[in-house]
Amino acid sequence: MNFSLLLPLLFLLLFGYALAKKVRLYDCFTEGVKGAAPLVLSVFPYLCGILILSELFTQSGLAALFTRAAAPLLRAFSIPEELAPLVLMKPFSGSGSTALLSELLAAYGADSEIGRCACVLYGSSETVFYISAVYYANVRGRIPAAPVVISLAANFLAASVGCLLCKVI
Amino acid sequence: MNVIFSVLFFGASVLFLARNADAYLPALLTGAQKAASVSLSLLASYCIWLGFFRVMEQSGLSEKLARTAEPLCRRLFRTDDREAVKLAAGNLSANLLGLPGAPTPLGIRATERFCAAGNGYGAAMLFVLNATSLQLLPSTVLALRAAAGSSSPADILPATLLSTLLSTLLGMIGVRLFCKRR
Repeated sequence: MNFSLLLPLLFLLLFGYALAKKVRLYDCFTEGVKGAAPLVLSVFPYLCGILILSELFTQSGLAALFTRAAAPLLRAFSIPEELAPLVLMKPFSGSGSTALLSELLAAYGADSEIGRCACVLYGSSETVFYISAVYYANVRGRIPAAPVVISLAANFLAASVGCLLCKVI
Repeated sequence: MNVIFSVLFFGASVLFLARNADAYLPALLTGAQKAASVSLSLLASYCIWLGFFRVMEQSGLSEKLARTAEPLCRRLFRTDDREAVKLAAGNLSANLLGLPGAPTPLGIRATERFCAAGNGYGAAMLFVLNATSLQLLPSTVLALRAAAGSSSPADILPATLLSTLLSTLLGMIGVRLFCKRR
């Protein structure tokens, strides 16, 4: 099955259905687009905070220190210690961890155990801090800690199981 | 978030002071610059998807989707708010399909609505579902693996799928245990 067909088909189906329901497509589509700029503006300050923080975190060498400290912990959870930078980066930045993943694949090979574990880890976790900043951007008051901690823990445990699975499957 | 921000910001700044203070301002600026360029690409994808969702809304399709998903969403998010269910159901289906950038605008609005109605539990559940990755097909991973010369890029799919299901399940259990219900 070719997944690149999904998007054009999705648009064709929806717009065809909308036409059948006598929706004025141009008016309707542009009305939706109106909401885009205010949405980006309302999210921007939080995005900026997170991205500045993640830049400081990696460039100061603090990330490297954390990485070294985290290695034994990762080993205990059966995650290869070479993946420590990825584990740390993923919650902050999608583009940063994509770059790390391609570096790891280039360094260790896409079919190596480390490469496979890196892919599973990347695919099964999400940018938790980034999402928390964006989703709670328009909510007054502070971001609740519980969901953030729960997500981080769930992603970490699943990564540990995923790396074990990599050895079996 | 305030605690994490303060601790990391302080730690990193002290390290810069001790090692190379010259690189401090460039690092800050790189971060802000990334925010600016990410915002631009977000703006582009929000334009497409908000237009798409508006058409979906007007044609009555999101109403249908919400009606199908309502029993599930009512239990999942503990809400009777039809509008919020509509947004959350759209967010979840966009996540499952892996439409890049599409879940976010819906997720932001759903979170707003949940919180405005005092339903912190619903907002937390939606957040955790999003933050533990629901995507069925990790297209970025497959593309990167193929680019790195893997003999069969798709052979990590079973492990990835199982572990992402596990993370979502663990997250849902966590929310049920630790987040206050109304």
